[in-house]
Amino acid sequence: MRRTLLKAAVAAALGAASALAGVTPASAQDAPVRIGYAIARTGPWAAGAQITQEPNYIMWAEQVNAAGGLNVKGKKRKVELIGLDDRSEAETMVRSYEKLMASDKVDLILPPWGTGANFAVMPLIQKYGYPMIAPTATGRKLLGMKNPYFFAILQQPDLMMDALGEFLKARNIKTAAMIHVDELFGLEQAAALEKSFKEKGIQIIEKKSYPLGVKDLKPVLNDIKAKNPDAFVALSYPPDTFLVTAQAREIAFNPKAFYASVGTAFPVYRDKMGPAIEGVMGLGTLNPKSSPAAKAYFDAHTARHKKEPDRWASAHAWAALQVMQQAIAKVGLDRKALRDAIAGGEFDTVIGKVRFRNGENIATPGVVSQWQGKEFEVVWPPDRATAPALHPKPAWK
Amino acid sequence: MTLREILGAIAAGALVLAALPWLASDFMLSLALTCLMYIGLAVTWAMFSGATNYLSLATSAFFGIGAYVTAWGFGTLPYALVVALGGLAAAAFASLVGAGILHLRGAYFAVLTFGLGELVRHAITYSEKTYAHTVGRVLQDAPESTAVYWTVLLIATAAVAACAAVRASRLGLALAGIGADEERAQTLGVNTRRAKIAGFALAAFFAGALGAAVAVRWTYIEPASVFNPFIGFQTVLIAMIGGAQTLAGPIVSAVVFSLLTELLRLQFPYAYLIVLGFLLIVLVLYLPGGLASLISRWRQARA
Repeated sequence: MRRTLLKAAVAAALGAASALAGVTPASAQDAPVRIGYAIARTGPWAAGAQITQEPNYIMWAEQVNAAGGLNVKGKKRKVELIGLDDRSEAETMVRSYEKLMASDKVDLILPPWGTGANFAVMPLIQKYGYPMIAPTATGRKLLGMKNPYFFAILQQPDLMMDALGEFLKARNIKTAAMIHVDELFGLEQAAALEKSFKEKGIQIIEKKSYPLGVKDLKPVLNDIKAKNPDAFVALSYPPDTFLVTAQAREIAFNPKAFYASVGTAFPVYRDKMGPAIEGVMGLGTLNPKSSPAAKAYFDAHTARHKKEPDRWASAHAWAALQVMQQAIAKVGLDRKALRDAIAGGEFDTVIGKVRFRNGENIATPGVVSQWQGKEFEVVWPPDRATAPALHPKPAWK
Repeated sequence: MTLREILGAIAAGALVLAALPWLASDFMLSLALTCLMYIGLAVTWAMFSGATNYLSLATSAFFGIGAYVTAWGFGTLPYALVVALGGLAAAAFASLVGAGILHLRGAYFAVLTFGLGELVRHAITYSEKTYAHTVGRVLQDAPESTAVYWTVLLIATAAVAACAAVRASRLGLALAGIGADEERAQTLGVNTRRAKIAGFALAAFFAGALGAAVAVRWTYIEPASVFNPFIGFQTVLIAMIGGAQTLAGPIVSAVVFSLLTELLRLQFPYAYLIVLGFLLIVLVLYLPGGLASLISRWRQARA
């Protein structure tokens, strides 16, 4: 009896396993280009991934197919997206990409969401030779791995913090207080900020860190308020960005410049906080006023997904797809050639020119954006600005 | 089956599975790896919590400790040593903490063990930030996926064998006695304190070793991702679905649950959590004894 049960279990397991393996269609001439990715649809990473990244993948595939297909070295082929849920787990994500690359042998892959997730696919893209242009990965450590197949299209911490330093220096800011989240992102941004502020002669009179998932920052903000700095910078993640904004307003801590990081560019930040955030600054890249291409992108995204893209990394996700598309038009789907084309070329995208050196996009400058009315206006650098800066920040509403 | 027969069956099963890297694709191999990981976690959880009725949610804390030992040691120490150290670190932590908290029962024990994961996560974040000036660590030159697979297979096999041995030993009887009636076991001369700490630490050893072995696949180790409470919840769920009082229950359940989750995730990318939740409700309602109780039902029906 025991043996029959065991047999049944083994048979069931084998059946499930073969169903999982799927069937790889023979690559016919007019077969679609299969593009795979794993991204969070559930779990803690899902919020960011579903605001910034996956909506762009879906919209891109639809636009390309509506236009007759993807231009593969002059020949039009339809695009088929294979999207998996990584459940916000490193192990599930690694397994999903192993499936896509090794078993399904997809033509191309798209990156997962977030710095940690991008780290985890690094060995796989090198082993199987899949170029990957990441819109939501920041950190010198990632680029320090010197993976020839990895490209970071998002501005790295030093660029963003240097832009902020320049902006504040131009506004004659002398002192600043800074808090950061104890995580790779927060630490790298904080180090970059300290270096930049030192060069610009801005004194950091208070520096505090807090753990991921913090629920109360009021004591820290009260301390900082008592020291009365000219500028306040929070190198924060979305939940703490919302928290620090709400609590600073509660205690009426209103420095001349108020900056918070990831999440300020989300439309939901504006919708949830309302007019209170007038004058709050943060990480951004562009808005619909930046260029006709940006306007077209925002309109298409809003029409397709019934929600606006964010004003920072969403556009980078779109730009990464544009880079890939232009490189494929030139060299086709040979992944080695595609890597070389991405590494060596210059591309016209929604965020402007994109050019990589040692895997880093060096054509997009650091940007400072600021909420004014309903728009996250670009206020620095001057040649990208969509509005003059509101300075000093008005009182909280 | 006698213990010798059980151990023979385990060894035979492990030998067959050891050949998988030559037979299966990379994806199948990583799927098998996940199954083995949850087999190891679930049988050792059941060995302690199933027998004693001390509901422990500390699995993710032990797993994370192991993973962090890899983050610290990998690169300077050989992989096998790092894995062993990961297990030992988790076991040492479990004995230390166990001595302090194993007098608590019921919900208090469950909540406290869940808190352990948070405690260790924040302690590591703080010490990394203060002393190493970083929070995440990058692992370069990870071992081949086949090496990781064989390591996890070895740990899982050892875990199942250890559980089989414990069930047949005085320690196993003591743990079962504690589960049935702790005061009575004490009156009958069982050193319940020592038995509980031993069982808790043994389960921690395997969870820590598995964490250390698997973490090399993630390239980047940070507290938020390795102290993932879902690993702990999933372990409890698997053991309970399988039948936490048995040895075979959690093994079958780990395989079924891992494959089913994966099948649903890949085939129904948007609906799989609903399906999974529904299946769990049905199982708990109609099969409270777990999958293992199917066997006894079947026997009764035949008799």
